[in-house]
Amino acid sequence: MTLPSFVSRHQFLIYRLFSLSGLIPVGAFLVVHLLTNASVLGGAASFQSRVDMIHSLGPLLIPVEFAFIFLPMLFHAAVGFAIIAGGLPNVGSYPYMGNVRYTLQRATGMIAFAFILWHIIQLHWLGAPLGGGRFDPHHATSSAATVIAPLGVSLLYAIGVLSAVFHLSNGLWTIGITWGLWTSPAAMQRANVISIIVGVVLAAAGLGAIGGLRSTDVAAARQVETRMEDFKRMMEGQAPDAAAGGHGAAGSTATVPAADAIDLRGPSEPSALVIPTPTTSSSPPGN
Amino acid sequence: MIMKTDDHGGPTAARTIPVRVLRQDAPGQESYWERHDVPWEPNMNVISVLQKVAAIARSQDGRPVAPVAWDCNCLEEVCGSCTMLINGRTRMACSALVDRLLEEHPDGIELRPMSKFPVVRDLVVDRRRLFHSLQRVKAWVPVDDSFDHGPGPRISPEEQEEAYPLAECMSCGCCLEACPQFTRIETPKREGETDEQLAARRTAAFDQGFIGAHAVSQAVLFNKHPTGKMIADERMAALTGPGGIQMCGNAQNCVAVCPKHIPLTRSIARAGRSATLWALKKLFDR
Amino acid sequence: MAQPRVLVVGGGLAGLAASMRLAELGVDVDLMSLVPVKRSHSVCAQGGINSVNALTRQQGDNEWKHLDDTVYGGDFLQHQPPVKEMADWGPRIIDLMDRLGVPFNRTPEGFRDQRRFGGTLYKRTAFAGATTGQQLLYALDEQVRRFEVEGKIRKYEFWDFLSPVVDDSGRCRGAVCQDMVSMQFRSFAADAVILATGGCGLVYGRSTMSMVCTGSAVSRVYQAGAAYGNGEFIQVHPTAIPGADKLRLMSESARGEGGRVWVPRTPQDTRDPRTIPEAERFYFLEERYPKYMNLVPRDIATREIFDICTTDGLSVEKDRLCVYLDLTHIPKETLDRKLGGILDIYEKFQGVDPRTTPMKIFPAVHYSMGGLWVDYERSPTGGMLEGSPRNQQTSLPGLYAIGECDYQYHGANRLGANSLLSCIFSGLFCAAGVQASAGAKRAPAAESLYAAALRREEERHEALIQRRGGGENPYGIHHELGDLMTRVATVVRRNDQLAAAYDEVCALEERWRRCSLSDTGNWTNQNVVFTKSLGDMFPLAKLILKGALLRDECRGAHYKPDFEMPGIAATDPEGKRREAEEWCDRFEANTNKWLKSTIANHGADGHPQITYEDIDTSLIPPRPRLYGLVGGEVIEEVWRERLRAREVNGGQVATREVGVGAQS
Repeated sequence: MTLPSFVSRHQFLIYRLFSLSGLIPVGAFLVVHLLTNASVLGGAASFQSRVDMIHSLGPLLIPVEFAFIFLPMLFHAAVGFAIIAGGLPNVGSYPYMGNVRYTLQRATGMIAFAFILWHIIQLHWLGAPLGGGRFDPHHATSSAATVIAPLGVSLLYAIGVLSAVFHLSNGLWTIGITWGLWTSPAAMQRANVISIIVGVVLAAAGLGAIGGLRSTDVAAARQVETRMEDFKRMMEGQAPDAAAGGHGAAGSTATVPAADAIDLRGPSEPSALVIPTPTTSSSPPGN
Repeated sequence: MIMKTDDHGGPTAARTIPVRVLRQDAPGQESYWERHDVPWEPNMNVISVLQKVAAIARSQDGRPVAPVAWDCNCLEEVCGSCTMLINGRTRMACSALVDRLLEEHPDGIELRPMSKFPVVRDLVVDRRRLFHSLQRVKAWVPVDDSFDHGPGPRISPEEQEEAYPLAECMSCGCCLEACPQFTRIETPKREGETDEQLAARRTAAFDQGFIGAHAVSQAVLFNKHPTGKMIADERMAALTGPGGIQMCGNAQNCVAVCPKHIPLTRSIARAGRSATLWALKKLFDR
Repeated sequence: MAQPRVLVVGGGLAGLAASMRLAELGVDVDLMSLVPVKRSHSVCAQGGINSVNALTRQQGDNEWKHLDDTVYGGDFLQHQPPVKEMADWGPRIIDLMDRLGVPFNRTPEGFRDQRRFGGTLYKRTAFAGATTGQQLLYALDEQVRRFEVEGKIRKYEFWDFLSPVVDDSGRCRGAVCQDMVSMQFRSFAADAVILATGGCGLVYGRSTMSMVCTGSAVSRVYQAGAAYGNGEFIQVHPTAIPGADKLRLMSESARGEGGRVWVPRTPQDTRDPRTIPEAERFYFLEERYPKYMNLVPRDIATREIFDICTTDGLSVEKDRLCVYLDLTHIPKETLDRKLGGILDIYEKFQGVDPRTTPMKIFPAVHYSMGGLWVDYERSPTGGMLEGSPRNQQTSLPGLYAIGECDYQYHGANRLGANSLLSCIFSGLFCAAGVQASAGAKRAPAAESLYAAALRREEERHEALIQRRGGGENPYGIHHELGDLMTRVATVVRRNDQLAAAYDEVCALEERWRRCSLSDTGNWTNQNVVFTKSLGDMFPLAKLILKGALLRDECRGAHYKPDFEMPGIAATDPEGKRREAEEWCDRFEANTNKWLKSTIANHGADGHPQITYEDIDTSLIPPRPRLYGLVGGEVIEEVWRERLRAREVNGGQVATREVGVGAQS
């Protein structure tokens, strides 16, 4: 069977899976991601502990990320681009609210997709071969704050996050129509209010995280993270590894420090990062 | 020069309406703009403008021109014939009043054929696909025959009030023209192709395209009817087949431009709900 | 033997009903229409469809009374057996349409709701919102689409019927038609041809009819030899919204809810109507009919409005005849509740809110009672014999006519909500007879017959396209024809005007021969299609005028003031009695002379040859219509006495007694 005939025969299923994938798991992931990020507003330790939780999956993290995030997102994006290519936006002739939202849904989808690609390359280990990987999960706040510090980067993040949030919250409303959850104009209006609330909350979380990172004292955050890392290793029976780069210095022998030797609040030696880190100023230099 | 007497006053200088028409002599030919000056009269609609254009048979610069071709019939917005793009928006020419149009665009009136259907000539387009969609969703009550079998099913006033607005659809095509998801399908005749081959190819192409809001709404109408719902499964198969309801992008232009104010988006959402349940049933129940 | 094949021309209610039933009977149908059938003129019918129903039956109604109302309303100018058959079929037809999914309005218990319409005392009219015709048409369109998918019906939309193909024996064997997109000609062989092409309102220029109602198909078969009946009977609706392009109906309910009709006493007063003081307004209906006021019967309202504008010159506007229909004194909420739908129509097309500004209205040509003469076979019970090939057959064997384009059901005047019934009925009913006719064994027509007919039409077309230098504009001529016909052959008819108009129509026809086309191309040439149909309007205009000229009486929609029978002038009982006797004598004499169908045949010289046909009034004897006539009660008394006397003498009078006189 050729691809076009397969697609044509299973168009309904594909479009419904596309619709569903936008909500679960991609949309759900976005919500978790943004709320996790927003925890930076509670301090470096709060953010770090959530990042640690995610990374506690260890070797499972990669398959989980592929199965539940990257592949669904790629599927959603691929079908989405096909849909966009098949449509003829006409908001100039018919400037109705619904049509504006239809057009924005497509625009934000494309922006969000471009942003996510860049975001992954820039921060994630997946992007390391392309010069990315500047996010250090052991130093979540400080590394992220450092990356996002330049105003231009912050703005791009704001645009990307807002696009993704609009795409999700407006998508929430259209999913309800597509699957027939709300059918009457009045019900659609009520659902619209809910989707707006969801959008505002997520936008606040996303922008809050950016603002939180921008106002973070990198050096102080780093100290917190280092002490947390040390404590964690201690708990795992490893010595604090002040000089090791990267994570999980496997095989390193360690003595177990006494619990009271760990001062979570006190200053500590900065550890070496993948990228150079400013040591003093809370307003980091531009990259 | 035509002098006109104002209906409420003395003689006034002739007032003319500049009209721009996008013309095309035949399928596959280049389209071109033509300007006409039409004497203004009270209570004109776009139909009477076009009637005058035909009667004058000269363009603005005085050249003799063939009358503009256009579709119309009832002139009271129930037959669905005279859909065209008037000042860029799809609407019925009969209910498009000139004075209102001039309030919106004092520079004049611009007329174009619908863009989602192949142009036959000038403002005439080929809307066979629209009727073909009604075939696809089996928009009828499957009665045994037309002989006497007593009255139809009892129907509550509430059900009638729900059905009636949907039954008012006059197949004008406004919802399709304004739909960003509904795109033109054109099958020009190929070299050496017979009429039957062309018709088969056209039908195949139509069968892949989006059925459109009007057909979704008709499917909903007949799936609600006590007898009509006896072939609900067949309609659901069409609604979830290629070009089915999944093509809807929720822009909701259809409901905004519908001249009969049919609750098309409600029909679409209801069809979506039925499709969800039907697909689940198909998956788990048979 | 090959499957019988029938060509149905016209896709309104009648054509679709016939196509559906024929397909069901196993006949192959070619269905041809100027427009996609879903866009046919039937969609314009608003009010409803009449039939005896369970409710009215319990109030004393029956099919016989429906027949009686119909023939009384039609001033007895129709053969009664077909009308009886139609009334008998009424309940079945409504049931059928109900089964086909027509969203008829419902009672709280879920039964079909009914309303009362003019010309009857019973609530016989089933309706679907304000678009009953549209809903009925769609239900049939859907069934036809179903048969189309099954391959039993083949549609030819945007095709023009040009002429019947008639063999040497005079039988119709098919038709020559033209694709209006590609302009290609084609001859269709058919075992029978059914014409269901509606009325001819465009002969009057603007009317309440749709743009396809040119009457051209009917005119073409008339010119090919089919007889035309009762052409002069054209129904005019009293209140329509004048438009530059068309006259749109304004329902009578506007007056029913208290609307007042007036004109300024100063001719063409230019002031805003709202500022004209009461004393300077002429409420002519209220002044002239203090009893009925604005709710005088339809024909009287029509005549008065027409007269005040033409004879008295008091039209509100100079170029466009109209009077005010004023609702502005009624509270807005009342209007919205009771008349919302129809006021929206006015506002939509006039751009003026009738709640705050008086509407401008004028009578408009609405329906052709006349049409192609058709036959029927009487059944032993006084109805039509089902399955007879004669039913609905025109004077050309093999050619049938149904719906508004036949002359069969409405006599001199059509009752509201009877037209939808007659269309569906004639379509369904004729099918069995058409099948019998089409299936009969006969030798196939010679190919040369079709080829010759095709060539004739091609030549006619070429000649028209190539006409040069005449300089006449077809649209202008149509405008003049419409104005002329509207002026002399609608509401009030006078012999001098009719005679003069006949000559003028002949002159217009001559000018039409000098029309030059502004489009000489061969692709979707609407110019040539229109010019052809305009040429075919003249024979119809002539038969309407001639029929009206010759018919020296008043009957139904045909009103000649010179032949009006005045009411009773005397005031003393004896004088009244004497005048009533005289009145009845005159009525009987008039009935003997004029209770006949006008039959027009197209003469070789292009003029209609008029003859008269006796009418089968065997079921219900004709009686006077006395609505609103002065002294009507005395006349009624005399008439009843005569009726009784005749019964005693064993005359051929129906056994049932039916009321005479005022039925609103």
